[in-house]
Order: sequence, then C-alpha cells, then structure tokens
Amino acid sequence: MKLAQLLALPATLISAVLAIPEYSEHLHLRPLPNGYLYAGFNFTASTSLSAYESQHFRYFPRSLGQILQHSDTRELHLRFALGRWDDESWGSRPRDGKREGGTGVEIWSWLDSGGGKPAVEERWSSLVNSLSGLFCASLNFIDGTKTTRPVLSFEPEGTHRGGGNGMELLHGTLPHEVVCTENLTPFLKLLPCKGKAGISSLLDGHKVFDANWQTMSIDVRPICGLGGDCRLEIQQTVDIVLDIKRSMRPRNDPIPRPRPVEELECDESKSYHASDTCYPKRKEGEMAWSLSKIFGTPVRGSCHVADGDESHDISLEVSPDRAVEVSHGGSNDTLASHEQNQLVRTMRLPDSARQHTDISLPQHIFQDSPHQNRPTLYASRQITGCGQERGGMHTVLHNPHTHQQRIVYLESLPWFLRPYMHTLKVLTHPTNSHDRPTIPLKPDQMYYTPALDRKRGTHLELLLTIPAQSTVELTYDFDKAILRYTEYPPDANRGFDVAPAIIRVLPSTHNTHNTSTAGNEIGQDSYFRTTSLLLPLPTPDFSMPYNVIILTSTVIALGFGSIFNLLVRRFVLAEEVPRSAVAVRVAGVLGKVRGVVGSLKGRLRGGGQGRGGGGVAVGVNGVAAEGDGGMNGVSSVVESRKER
Amino acid sequence: MDPTSTEDGGGVSAVEGTELPASGNAKATPPTESARTLLTRRTIVFSFWAIVLGLGLPHWLWTTSTYRASLPLSTMNDWAEGKACDLRFAFPIRVRVPGWTREEMVELSGSLSALLDHDGSDGLLDFTIHVGNADEEPILPAHGDPALTVVLHAAGSPDTNGVTSRLEPGESALHLGSGLRQAGEIADQIREITSPQQEALAYLLSGTPFAVTEHGVLRATQNTWSEASLDARNTRAFKPSTTYHLSFSLFVPGNEPSAWAIEDALAAYMTPLLDALAGVSNFTVTTQVQLHASFSPSIAGPTFDEASGKWKLRKEDLSGFVNAAEWPLSPSIGEGSTINFVLYVPAPGHSPLVVADTGGTGWLVPQWGGVAILNLDEPTTPRKSTTDTDRTTLSAANLDEIMLTFADQLTALIGLPSSPAGSLALRIAALQRERATALLLSTASTLGALSRLVHKLPNIPIPDTVATSVGTSLRHLDHACQDLRAGRYSNTDTNLGALGNAQAASEASEKAFFEPSMVGQVYFPDEHKVAVYVPLLGPMGVPLVLAGVKELLGWYRGMREKVKRT
Repeated sequence: MKLAQLLALPATLISAVLAIPEYSEHLHLRPLPNGYLYAGFNFTASTSLSAYESQHFRYFPRSLGQILQHSDTRELHLRFALGRWDDESWGSRPRDGKREGGTGVEIWSWLDSGGGKPAVEERWSSLVNSLSGLFCASLNFIDGTKTTRPVLSFEPEGTHRGGGNGMELLHGTLPHEVVCTENLTPFLKLLPCKGKAGISSLLDGHKVFDANWQTMSIDVRPICGLGGDCRLEIQQTVDIVLDIKRSMRPRNDPIPRPRPVEELECDESKSYHASDTCYPKRKEGEMAWSLSKIFGTPVRGSCHVADGDESHDISLEVSPDRAVEVSHGGSNDTLASHEQNQLVRTMRLPDSARQHTDISLPQHIFQDSPHQNRPTLYASRQITGCGQERGGMHTVLHNPHTHQQRIVYLESLPWFLRPYMHTLKVLTHPTNSHDRPTIPLKPDQMYYTPALDRKRGTHLELLLTIPAQSTVELTYDFDKAILRYTEYPPDANRGFDVAPAIIRVLPSTHNTHNTSTAGNEIGQDSYFRTTSLLLPLPTPDFSMPYNVIILTSTVIALGFGSIFNLLVRRFVLAEEVPRSAVAVRVAGVLGKVRGVVGSLKGRLRGGGQGRGGGGVAVGVNGVAAEGDGGMNGVSSVVESRKER
Repeated sequence: MDPTSTEDGGGVSAVEGTELPASGNAKATPPTESARTLLTRRTIVFSFWAIVLGLGLPHWLWTTSTYRASLPLSTMNDWAEGKACDLRFAFPIRVRVPGWTREEMVELSGSLSALLDHDGSDGLLDFTIHVGNADEEPILPAHGDPALTVVLHAAGSPDTNGVTSRLEPGESALHLGSGLRQAGEIADQIREITSPQQEALAYLLSGTPFAVTEHGVLRATQNTWSEASLDARNTRAFKPSTTYHLSFSLFVPGNEPSAWAIEDALAAYMTPLLDALAGVSNFTVTTQVQLHASFSPSIAGPTFDEASGKWKLRKEDLSGFVNAAEWPLSPSIGEGSTINFVLYVPAPGHSPLVVADTGGTGWLVPQWGGVAILNLDEPTTPRKSTTDTDRTTLSAANLDEIMLTFADQLTALIGLPSSPAGSLALRIAALQRERATALLLSTASTLGALSRLVHKLPNIPIPDTVATSVGTSLRHLDHACQDLRAGRYSNTDTNLGALGNAQAASEASEKAFFEPSMVGQVYFPDEHKVAVYVPLLGPMGVPLVLAGVKELLGWYRGMREKVKRT
C-alpha cells in the first residue's frame, strides 16, 4: 500500500456518509533509505459550523477560531518549514506535498471579498497580525510587498457556499523566518491533548528542529456532508525526517565525537585499506531503533477523547518480514500486519492515560533496497550571474515519467528583484540526449503581475506541459535594485531571501500509461517547492552618511573660507602688520626667559673655567664660540628686520 | 622691497597719497584705509550675515520644524481642573397615587420636593418631583424618563398593606403601603434608596478636581464600612468599556468530561442578565473546553485532609490556581476587555476539591474573572453504571449552581452596585450613572495629561488627527455633562445619553493620547543634531563670526575716535 493512498484514507472516510469523528490523531512511521526515518503526525479536529459561529468551542481551538471569525477567513493554510526533502533518495513526498511549505513561513487563505479590495487587505492584515501573535512568528511582516494573488496554483480544499464565489485568495511568504521551538509550543497548545498524552507527547522541540527536514502545517476548511450539515475542520500536521543515528545519540553526551579507531567500520576491500586508512563501510540496512530512543520519550498514554476516532493511532510501514515489538507499560508484544505481506501495520494505543507505549525494531539488513516511489517531478532553481547589478534565474524541471505532465509554476519575487520578462525562455530537451538541440516550449498560460517599488512584488505564474522524459529549463534575467539606507536589515551582507517557487502538478487527464507511478493516477494534484534562494544585493558601507557629511562639510568650509577671506581681508606689507598686544607680551616673556637662560649658561661656563689648566683652552674656545653666536644672533636680527 | 609694487590688489589699491614709511624706521604702520574700501568690506561682511540670518536661519528653522496642530489647550485644562462642568445628577421622581385627585398629589409633591431639596443641597442628586397617575402623561421633555416612580397604594389594595415598602426587580418603582402617607415618611424611603448612590458618586468624585467641598461634607458623614465596600467594589470591577467579551472555559485535568451543556445553561442563567445589562455595555460570549489542564508548578497543589475526606486547596494557592502559562485563556480579539470564567472539574482521584479555610468552591479574581470548582459526586456509584454520555458530558443540571456563581461574579466584575437589593433596574440605572461619571473623569484627566505632555515636550509633532480627536472628545464631554444634569442617562434613538457620550469622549481622548505618530518621534537627541551640524557650521561659522567681530570693533573704534576728535 502506498503512502499516498494511505494518507488519502481519511479523506475517503470523510467523503463517506459516516459520521465524522470530532477528533482523530495518527502517526505514520516509515524508514527511509540511508538511515532516515519519516514520521508524519496528523491531528484533525472538527466542529459544527453552527457551534463555530456561536463561538462554542470544544476540540477546535478557540484562539484560532476567533482569529478566523474576526478576519472573515473562509479557509486557511499555514506552513512552517525547515530543511530540504531529498527527492533523489527519499522518493516522492508525503501527502503529495500538499501539507508542505517552502522554507520559512508560508500562508495562503481565502478571505471574504465583501467590501472591495481595501476591506480584503484590511482582513488580510488583521489575519496575519493575529496569527503572528498566536504563533510567535514574524507573520506581521507579510505586507503588500510579500503578498501575491495566485490564479492557477491553489484551489480551495473545502466546500464553500456559493461555489467559492465571494472570496479571494491571498498568499504570503516569509522565506527568511527561522522556524523554531517557539512556533511549536503554540502549535501544540491548539491540540486537545496539548502534547501531554497520545502521539503528540513525542513532539519535542529538540527533536523536531534537529530533523533534516520538517514541516508543520495548519489547514482550516469547511466540509459539508451530503445531508447539508457543514463542519469546520482543522488539520494540523507535523512531518519530519530524522537521521536515526543522530537522534539516538545519548542525551547526556550530545556532542558528536570522533569514534576510536577500533570502532570504525571500514571497507576492507579497498586497495588502500591499511591500519591508518579507512574507507567507511557503506551502510547496509538499518540500525535498530525504537520510538523512545529516537524521540527521547515513549508515547505517554493516549489521546482518546469522547466522539473521537476509534481507528488506529499509529501505523508503521516496514517490510513484512521485519519483527516489530510493542511494549505497553511492562508487557511486550509483537506487532504483526493484519494481512500477510502487507507493508503497513497499524496499532491502537491503550486507553489508559498512564501507560507508556514504545515501538522497537531490531537491526535489519535489506535483501534488496526498499522500493521508493519515484517523485512526479524533480525541480531545482538557482540564481546565476555575477556582480552586484544583474543576475539571472535558472530553473530546471525534470519529468522522469513516460507521460507528459501539466504543471503550474508560481514564483513570487520581492520587488527589489526586477525580472525582464522579454528574456524569459522556456527550453526543453529529452533528458538522456544532451546533443540534441533544445526546443523552445510555449507556456499554455501565463499570468504576470509586475512589481511596484516598495508596494508590490512580482507574481509570475506559468502553465506548462512538460513532455515525457525530458527536462525543461526556464531562465530569465533580472536587475538588482539598490535599496534605501534604512531598508537594509541589520545583516545586509548575508543577502536577501527569495521565496521558493511553488510547482503544482495537475492531475493528468489522459491516463494512458497505467504505470506504477504514484501521484497522478489517483487523480489528485501534487505540490513541490524548490529551495529558497539567497540574493546578494549591493550593500553600502553603513558609516557612509557620516563620512559624506564630514567630507562635504570640509569641502564647503574650504571653499567658503578662502573666498570669504579673500573678500574681507586687507592686504598690507609685511612690515606694516601691526603687532598685536598678545604677540608683544609673548615676545617680552620669551626675551626674559632667554636672558635668564643665557645668564645661567654663562654662570655654568664660569664655574668650569676654575678647573685645571686644560680648561683654559676650552674656555677660550667657549668664549669664542659664544662671541660668534652673539655676532650671529645680532646679524640675524638685522637681517630679519631688513626682510620686514 | 617697494611697497607700492606689491599693492595692486583690487580692494587695497588706495595706497597713493599715503605716506611712505621711512626706510630707516624699525616699525612701519599700514596705510590708513580709504572710506570707500572700508565701506566695501563692511558691506561684504554685512551681506554675508544678512544672508545667513535672513535666508539661512529661517530656512533651517522651517525645514527642521515639526508640525503641531493647534489644540484647545485652555478648554482641555478646564476639564482637567474640573472647571468646565459642575457635576450634578438629575433624579426625576414621579409620584403616583391611584385614587387621588390631582390637587392632592400636587400638594404632596410640593412638600416632598421641599423636604428632598433640603438635603439635596449638599448631595449630588437633584431631585425633581412630578405627579401623574397615567404613565402616558408626559413630564417635562427636558428631563428624561423618571429615575424612580413612587406608587402609593390605597388602603384597601391587596398588594401592600401597612407600613411596608416594596421594590420590583424589573422596574424602577417603589411601592409603598397605605401606612406610609406622610411626606416625611415618603422622603425617608426615597432617601434610603438613593443614599448608596449618593455615597458611590461622592466616592468617585473624591480626590478629583470635580469634587466640591460640599461633597467632602457628604463623604465625612459616610461610615468607614461603606467606604471600604466601595473600595472593594472599585478594585474588583473592570474598567468601563463598551464591550465585554465573556469567555466560559471548562478545564479538566484528564480527558473527561469533554463536553458541557453550556448553551442551555447560558440561555437559562446568563442571557436574561446580559439582556438587562445591554444598556450599559455590549457582551459577546464564547465558550471552550480544555482537556489535560495541569496545575502550575508554582503552587503546592491540593492536599488530602483525612478528617473531612476532602482535598483542600490552600488560600495562598488560589492566586496561582489558573495556570496562565499553559491554559489557553488568551483575550478575545477586538475592542473591549475579556472576562474569564473558569470551571474546573477535578480528577476523580482529587474530588471533592475545596478551598481550605472557607470550604467554598468558587472565588473571584479582581479585574480578571471568576473561578469555580465543580465536584461531581460520583465515588459512591461505580463508574460503569453511568452511561457514556453521563461521563463525558456535564448536564445543564450540573451547571445550575455554577452558573449562579458566575452570574454573581459577573455583576461584581462589571461593578454593579449591590443596593438597592430589590430592584435590578434601579441598580443598573445607578451603574449607568457611575459609569458615565467615571468615564467623564478619566477622559478629563486624559485630556489634561495630553495638554501637559504637549506643553512639556516642545519637539513632538501633533498631527491633525489628534486635534480632531480632541475636538470630538470635548464635544462629547459637553454633551455628557448636559445629559447628566438633565437626567438623560441611557441611550435613546436621538441622543447617545450621558453614558454613550462619555464613552465616545473617552474613546476619542484615548485615541488622541496614544496617537502612534506622536509617540514615535518624541526622542530625537540633541547630540545627534550637534554631530551633524558641527562639521559644517564650525569651519564656516568661525571666519564669519571673527570677521563680524573685527568689523564691529573697528566701527566702534572709529566712532569713538570721531567723538574724541569733535
């Protein structure tokens, strides 16, 4: 059974006429290749629309409900994400990428469009500001420059009155935001069991944010049953990929240290293997792990509430021949799949609030590497070019399948990145033959909203058809704007984050190939996000204004001073300059000092003469010299007077 | 060197005619300047200074000045000092005596008003008496509805007999028995009803500039007990606000019970009270259920008392009982204060839980809300016997007592006076009067603070919006004052009434005081200005000033010599 199908299971249940449980929670575990573990938490609560409108909350969180009512929000999607999903080795994304966000924070929601554009903007601003307070995130920085109105990329998930008329989609991203524990704590507070019981007790900030990839999502949507009774559903998910080995390192010694030589596992088949050289052995299979070792705690109790879900809490997707041990409190048990050779095993936590549950798996060596679903698409995006003035965007989309795919490519760029749409090129070539010339590809549809400086960012949406087994390259050039002095953040030299591109793969209409590829054959669209980009902008020297002030002032003062002096000064002969009183006084004092020094010198000399015969000659010399000096002095005075 | 050969500069060319210095002389003096040269140089210096003072300085002042809209500072100060309004509260009374002729009633009202006016002179309430048997009989349009209707029942009436007085909860009427016929007795009854109101109003005004000495006399007559109770009422109550958000929360330590019949309970106990209070404030109601609520680690937690077989909560722990860090009791969105009502259902192992000293199960947290503990009496019956719904849902019957507690706490939290106990309508009317007064006082002091702030900080900019808000506030204050004096307390279609006007005035004054663009630029330090100006003005200023001083000195010397010569 495929992961995607499994996760679609609750959705199929919902569409059935069965009564919707007011609360349910699930944890799905799946080991990934190279020693990683995927853990997907899903918490779903719902309330009847009438109770929501009269503000009687039970499992639906009151704090969020009031925000949604206050801002007339019809449907909300909020994402906090960190890290990168490794397509190449981990395969397709969980939940078709629908509960995934771009790095940082991403929010999109359908708001009541009554009252025109200013009213919608008012509601949007009220929504992001309130959510910012609720989730301790900088969502309040989502202003007009970070908001776009995508046309093709998103569709409402809920059932709306009037078929979705009278509401407007707004989308905002904060790629710079670092998601951390302070966002997880309010997230857990929204749950009925608040991380104290049930699977949510595994969610600890230290582990969640130590993951290689994690994404938290909150989705609120109305669902209407066949009978016309409508409910408002909130789905909260946390998806993480943990490095098993890293997570299992002991708590008391969290710092990674080099292992002693004896404990290293070396590949001895290498020719250069010696006592001092070691090529690390390739990991075979998977090391033994248990929930309590990976998450630091076993599952504490269960969160089985009245009118809640009665089905399983935890599901585990491992190969059928693997032994899985479950311990409830003290008793151990093995967990077997219900049917022979089924990949997924499910279990329900005991009702007792006190009992701890742990799942442990022994070490396992794969006979053949576990099959991973191929992702629908591979995508990567880079900034090209050098220098501080211009750059280019380069996106590579690669379709590994044997059928063509229609995708929507959405970019929302900050205003200081100014793209030139005439340079937009979409080229395609078959993946495995680089020698063949690239063929231009015409986008089926294109939506483009140009940026306005400091008011609006660029919004670019392309509807593309990617031919089978081929690669599409999308490029365009852009200019980097120069910001105002006060617009730079404190760490301006780090660069500016550019939000990830969002790629929506539309369900293929002609399903000619009944291949085993995941995603499309279900008939639902899936989403991808590229990594966020770092855009270096020209940054000024921030002491510049003061330097400029000082330099200009000096230049102005120089010019002004010389011209002014030239105009008002009187030019006379050097001799005619009247001696100022101060100068006369200083000269008098100097003369006195000179006289005193001279007399002192004379006295010193006199004392020296009285000594022995040798002294005479010296004395004579000294006198002569003094006489000379005196003469010189007189003559220089005369000269200086002449000069005057 | 020949001096003439060098002297060819434009400004100093007038050397001819001056005496050449003798070559043998040790000290030469510069030639005296011609009057023209002197004039030219002085004109130059003067024009530089003229440009600096006439063009540079105003330009600089103009570019660096902040915009200050003009505020009616004197009116604001008048309000802050209590000069703008002489606070009196009209209290129209209608007297109805079924079966009496008009003349008899007019006579009674005459003697009544004489009696009431006698002590009305040092009270805050202005009593006016009107008579009329029929409700539709209009009283003076300047006065609003009667604040109190006095009904004297005839001797044979089955309603009341003897010397009894009776109040109706839903109406502001005083029913007097046939034994109370004398004007003096009736006046005493009226005084008994209105004296708590007088005291409360005097308490509000005391210590403010609006307090007149005669109120002080009134206060002196109050006993300390009533003052203490007024103090307590004042500290418990929320600040007056147009909207209150009531938030009812059920907190459970485990995961049961997870539902409560709160809608039924609210409809039965809260809605009638809130409807009655609609004239004072708007109320919104929200409820939530929170499972897995644990105590804060800062409190010791309940201890088991063997003697009584109850879990006891120490009095010191009551303040930390509500775990503010973990229980999601965030204030509601929107204007207004949030009043929290917390119902805590202890775990079966910790039941019954009571407060140690009093044995009570509910308490009030001033200006925050109320807490109640509900002990489900179940240990006697085994859990299995009860059905699933019983375990997970609190029925409306379970909530009866709790809702009464909450209703009582709500009246205390919004500051509803406790007397006259018999009539809710009279209590609400009293609350309206007090609310309007409190808002008026706080608005006056806000305006005074704004006026002082503007006066103290000459650098802060005052945008036009502040001036507009101040104007609105003052206009509403005037209306509120007039409405109080005329007895128009509550909101009608044509008039906001005293309370509505006071609320509008208060909102406008707060808006003016907390104008963000005013707060943001208060601090622009002088050091910063110096750092920017010195590099420019220093090197330019020094030659200008020196030249100016030198020329001034020269001119002064010249003048003195001229005087000497003559």
